Amino acid sequence: MSAVTTHHDAHGHEVPYEVQLRSNRLGLWLFCFSEVFLFLALLVARFYLWGNTRPELSQVLGLLTTSILLVSSFFMNRAETAIAHGDRKTFLNGLLITALLGTLFFVGVVVMEWNVFGLELELFGVEWFGHLRPTDGVFGGVFFAMTGMHALHVLSGIVFILIVWANGRKGHFSPERHWGVEACAIYWHYVDVVWVFFYPALYLIGHVA
Amino acid sequence: MEEKKKAAYRLGVITFVILAVLTVAEYYASVSLAASAVIMFIIAFLKAGVIVQNFMHISRLWREEGH
Repeated sequence: MSAVTTHHDAHGHEVPYEVQLRSNRLGLWLFCFSEVFLFLALLVARFYLWGNTRPELSQVLGLLTTSILLVSSFFMNRAETAIAHGDRKTFLNGLLITALLGTLFFVGVVVMEWNVFGLELELFGVEWFGHLRPTDGVFGGVFFAMTGMHALHVLSGIVFILIVWANGRKGHFSPERHWGVEACAIYWHYVDVVWVFFYPALYLIGHVA
Repeated sequence: MEEKKKAAYRLGVITFVILAVLTVAEYYASVSLAASAVIMFIIAFLKAGVIVQNFMHISRLWREEGH
């Protein structure tokens, strides 16, 4: 992952960085592809159980969390671009902003949409805390399964970003060698892609039951 | 080098704007026009395609050089 790592094949020969990089990329993309089946199964469950209906959810909260994740992807891309061009300050700041926005998304889903603390707040005609429970039949079950599995990936993404940030501060990445940053960026954008499909499936498609 | 850097940052901004416009479009299509699931999925696939191409750089899988 870092610039000082040297890889060897089964016979002890040094593997050129470019070759290792291609293998790493292929491995990560295969991992992402394997996860497609997990998220696809959840999407299929949603359409099988909900059909053309959906629970009543706060549209403002859904759009807000979606926007936060979208902006986080922008800053992750900015951080990766920065390290690729030797701009260390923008790289580190970009990672921190991404982690912060990811945390905001996580809070938006877990604290506000799931409403784990049972809060109530109506401001500007918007209910800022959800009322759906996991026990509310197929609506609750599917909603919590989909958002829960996604939130778990967001959480692991935030941890990944913070590890890369800490390594970045120690100077482990350079414009020539920054696979750790690239991997982190691909993973984070992948989490965004999953939400691109989950958001309309949960909040927009079908009529309110 | 500086031109390449500016172009890379610009691509990030353009991608973000496209994604923002598509997100607003899908929200409007659902809330105001009650668009069908097919329309919503077309927009979702467009957004995913833009992210995979411009943010995840899937084309690097077939490139010979490094970063």
